[in-house]
Amino acid sequence: MRGMDIELKDVSIRFGDFTAVYPTNLKVNAGEFFSILGPSGCGKTTILRMVSGFSNPTSGEILIGGQSMAGIGPDKRPTALIFQSLALFPLMTVRENVAFGLEMRGMARGPRNDKAQELLDLVALGDQGEKIPDELSGGQRQRVAIARALAVEPAVLLLDEPLSALDLKLRQHMRSELRDIQRKTGVTFIYITHDQGEALTMSDRIAVMKAGVIEQVGTTDQVYNEPSTAFAATFVGANNMFKGKITKTSKGEAEIETKYGLLRGTNPQNLSTGSEAILFVRPEKTLVLSGKEKAENTIDVTYERRDLEGAFVNLHFQREDNKFTVHQTNVDLKSFDKGDQCTIGFDARAAMILPDGELADE
Amino acid sequence: MNSLRSSFGPVLSLVIMGLVGVWVVGMIIGPQLIMVEQSLWNKEIGGEAAQISTRIDRLYNEVDTLAFDKSDAEALDESTDRTEKIAAITAEIDTRKSTITELEATEVKPIKVYSFRNYTLMGASHFFIFLKTIAAAVAVTVIAFVVCYPIAFAVAKVATPGKAAMIMLFLIIPYSINELLRIFAWLMILDNNGVANLILGWFGFESIPFLGSGSGVFIAMVYAYILFMVFPIYNTVETLDGSQIEAARDMGASTWQIHRKIVIPHAKPGIAVGCIMTFMLSAGSFAVPNIMTRGIAEPWFTQLIYNKFFESSNWNTGSAYAFTLVIACIVFIFMMMRFFGVGIKDIAK
Repeated sequence: MRGMDIELKDVSIRFGDFTAVYPTNLKVNAGEFFSILGPSGCGKTTILRMVSGFSNPTSGEILIGGQSMAGIGPDKRPTALIFQSLALFPLMTVRENVAFGLEMRGMARGPRNDKAQELLDLVALGDQGEKIPDELSGGQRQRVAIARALAVEPAVLLLDEPLSALDLKLRQHMRSELRDIQRKTGVTFIYITHDQGEALTMSDRIAVMKAGVIEQVGTTDQVYNEPSTAFAATFVGANNMFKGKITKTSKGEAEIETKYGLLRGTNPQNLSTGSEAILFVRPEKTLVLSGKEKAENTIDVTYERRDLEGAFVNLHFQREDNKFTVHQTNVDLKSFDKGDQCTIGFDARAAMILPDGELADE
Repeated sequence: MNSLRSSFGPVLSLVIMGLVGVWVVGMIIGPQLIMVEQSLWNKEIGGEAAQISTRIDRLYNEVDTLAFDKSDAEALDESTDRTEKIAAITAEIDTRKSTITELEATEVKPIKVYSFRNYTLMGASHFFIFLKTIAAAVAVTVIAFVVCYPIAFAVAKVATPGKAAMIMLFLIIPYSINELLRIFAWLMILDNNGVANLILGWFGFESIPFLGSGSGVFIAMVYAYILFMVFPIYNTVETLDGSQIEAARDMGASTWQIHRKIVIPHAKPGIAVGCIMTFMLSAGSFAVPNIMTRGIAEPWFTQLIYNKFFESSNWNTGSAYAFTLVIACIVFIFMMMRFFGVGIKDIAK
């Protein structure tokens, strides 16, 4: 099995007056694990349905492996879709489910059962072939859906939030399994999710999408460390935010005038003096300063509470209506009482100043 | 029982249980048992006894005639002649009455003889009508399925919710009209001078005797019971997850394969219920054949049953006929359930 590349050229889709996807250009490389990350209703599933052939773009063109897909139905495309509901056939056995696509292609019973067995072995369900889907656990059903989709040897596998119905432990386990299967088969994966953790752990590259527009495309590191918009910065991972106006710029850095004084941060987009901007700093790059410690930027805050997550804790601070989080590993924790006056701070290199814009809803 | 009590309370659940009991025993089991019992016996009278009862009948008739003569005589003017006449007639009546009393004393009561004889009384022509009725009911069921499955699928899975509601409304409206009126409408359409033949006439065709040939019953019956096929199928297809259809298509299934492998297996219980209802209604329909044949075409089996009961007053043979039809219907139900591989539980769903 070999993956194919996918290219969207000015693809847009409208349903009546509603534009679900604005003209979009996107290139997914062959054999890549590519995620489209965005809140529900942002149009990510619509893109997937256009690639799979269940919806037709209002304008633009979709190419798979360099071939235009215009006028080609879902049954004729080199893609296979894994539905959010999985859509396993409940009246067929697991083996019949996996062999379904081969049966539809007219493969004889013997070879198609052999092939189905091969795929069930791949997803570690070799001995579950005679059960019906309802007798399997959530994670097993998940793997049946993957095996069934892979049976037709697609060049591109499209996954529509397939892990959303699983519990947390299983979800984390399935992440690595999906990644393994993708590596083993070399098929191009396009993975739709609203869970940034999933996108970051599994993907080679991520597209961050908001309201029908792709805001940023990049590797996982790029998207996390160098978000290009305020939305991307707040949707992927958490951030402490300081809104203000740029007062001074110099050599990749800038100074921003906020309610809590002047703060310095990097200026990756070379915003000019006077522009409305937001300074973002990740909770793990924010420090709680004791008397001796120093940082380039400091803010006086009140301690609220802490959330213990096990290996790490999130400390929550407040000043007026603004909330700030500091992320610390669970080693030598300082303890505070509610209402303690503290100072938090960060270096300019740890912070990023981006143009003001819409934020992701909490 | 416990769950009934926990949801309705003791009083209401007793009432419910009582009503259900009355319904099951009084309206299903009871009448059915009485009918079966009726179908299993005959009144048998020996040769001499038959003669006696004929004589008794004749004597009763003569007494009645004499009573008329007597009242005629009483209307005459008062005279000796009149008095003699009345006396003579009264004497005659009295002799006959005493003979009747004598004879009745010797009369043997007819005895109930239990046997399967009633079931063997069906002649070749009636048996042919029975087979024809069953075959026609099967054909009505098949046609109803062929017509209704695409409609039910389209409404459940293809149409937008607004359009689906519209289609449903238009399907239901004709059925809110009285069944007799709907059948009469078909009578007007299919009559020899009806709308259908009028239109055929415009195109130069000779008129077709729809009613006389018996096809009228068939057409009207398809129309009368078709909706009982739509709703059960619609209800089951509606519960099918649409992404299963898409998944099948995505894996290369053709439209035919999608229906054969995905939709129909899922809709089986609904299809079975639809087929059973349509079959039972058409096999047991009385109004449709009664109006549409009107004596000019061969009757349906239900009409034969009616005639046995109310025209030949032979309840025993009538019961045997009726029970034969019940058996045929039950056999059909089990065949359907077997054919579709569905159990009672699936149907109840």
